[in-house]
Amino acid sequence: MQIDQWDFPDELYYNEGHAWARVEGDIVTVGVNDFTQFLAGEISYIDLPMEGDEFEFGERIGTIETGKWLGKYFAPVSGEIVEVNEKLEDDPTLINKSPYGEGWIVKIKMANPDELDKLMKDPEEIKKFIYSEVDRVANK
Amino acid sequence: MKILNLGKLPGQQSMLGFHALARLGFEGLVIVSPSVPLVSVGYFQDAEKEVDLDYCNRNGIPVMRREIGGGATYLDGNQIFYQVIWNRENKKFPLKIDKIFEFLSEPPCETYREFGIETSFRSANDIITKDGRKIAGEGGGDIGDSMVFVGGILMDFDYETMSKVLKVPDEKFRDKIYKSMEENLTTMKRELGSIPPRDDIVRVLAEKFEKLLGAFETVTLTPETIDKMVELERWLTSPEFMFRKTPKIPKGVKIKEGVEILYGTYKAKGGLIRTAQEVEKSIIKDIGVSGDFTLYPKKELFALEETLKDTERESSKLKSKIEDFYEETGVQTPGVEPEDITKAIEAGK
Repeated sequence: MQIDQWDFPDELYYNEGHAWARVEGDIVTVGVNDFTQFLAGEISYIDLPMEGDEFEFGERIGTIETGKWLGKYFAPVSGEIVEVNEKLEDDPTLINKSPYGEGWIVKIKMANPDELDKLMKDPEEIKKFIYSEVDRVANK
Repeated sequence: MKILNLGKLPGQQSMLGFHALARLGFEGLVIVSPSVPLVSVGYFQDAEKEVDLDYCNRNGIPVMRREIGGGATYLDGNQIFYQVIWNRENKKFPLKIDKIFEFLSEPPCETYREFGIETSFRSANDIITKDGRKIAGEGGGDIGDSMVFVGGILMDFDYETMSKVLKVPDEKFRDKIYKSMEENLTTMKRELGSIPPRDDIVRVLAEKFEKLLGAFETVTLTPETIDKMVELERWLTSPEFMFRKTPKIPKGVKIKEGVEILYGTYKAKGGLIRTAQEVEKSIIKDIGVSGDFTLYPKKELFALEETLKDTERESSKLKSKIEDFYEETGVQTPGVEPEDITKAIEAGK
């Protein structure tokens, strides 16, 4: 699905912290959505967790620096980090270039699949959420 | 929105205030200066690599890492910090990061103009004078549910101490950092010949922010905020937070946007070659070459550095210039070829 200039692949889940989640069995691949990478601008540094670290639903996983601004990214589901995209240490702009592909950040072994119900999947719901923020981008 | 004029606070407290207020949901402007100097490093910096911690210890200068982006800075009473804090949902503020900087840089730009200094915002993310010198550095970040933007009006700046608190690979390069800062960073004192009264600057700054953000309600520091500051001081100055390793450490020193000091080393057969370069838009503006290799006649080392000024940092151009220099001067560097010096320059980061 396209929302203005930003891409939101239909098969993914989204949260209000602007993370996306791709579910394959009990493994959830996590990244930040296209709209967020646009808001952030070119990413200079990313703070990645360690494999084995555990996060609660909505908890901050790490930080991202862009143009002297320090942002955060959050866990869309609870669970244990089973893989980290180490390529981002050398080139964090992969998040800008390919937010849903090479710019994925971590893979989480999901602790509670019921949490997926708290994420956005319905295109209308996603549109409504993103448009509420797009207005602020357009106005300023 | 509120305004909290904290005057001058000792040490880290000038930086702890916004960390605490952001977590407590404060929305408004904080104006503060440190009453005694301190050094602050950006979140993605390694304090051990960026700052001469021994010098700071010997001179009683506290060092803290902040939850804000940007590089190492030296803060003292001649700077007036403006710290804007708002909830992410507050629709007065832009969402796009570069727009936030542009939007909130207008009040400090107007403040400088009010005192007769023509300034403008330049991406990313400085306030500069009309001749391109940086006169305020800015940074920001998400803290708690808040967004925080910070910057500082430079009434005056202690270039010498700033060059001393930074860690450099070789003392020879400290002077280059000093000179580069002096050339690229300016202050009210330098622009005007004197410093306007602090209270006047604070008043104008507050008025300009009020014009942008709406009327402020004046408030004072609450016991709750002080408690939070005390709690955060323990965390933000703890070795656990201060020396926590981040995955990618910036090694160069950024003087202003577009001007960087880069350090490079290369091990040649004839010894280690070190370089420190001031680079602006890929052009070497100044360079120091040192190491444990042999070069004779020795006086030609300075000539080599002079030759390399205004050269583009591009392999073939560097190598050709160094080869010409060898040919013209007959300089001898056993075990070190022009290509090795080129590599030591290219290694700069």
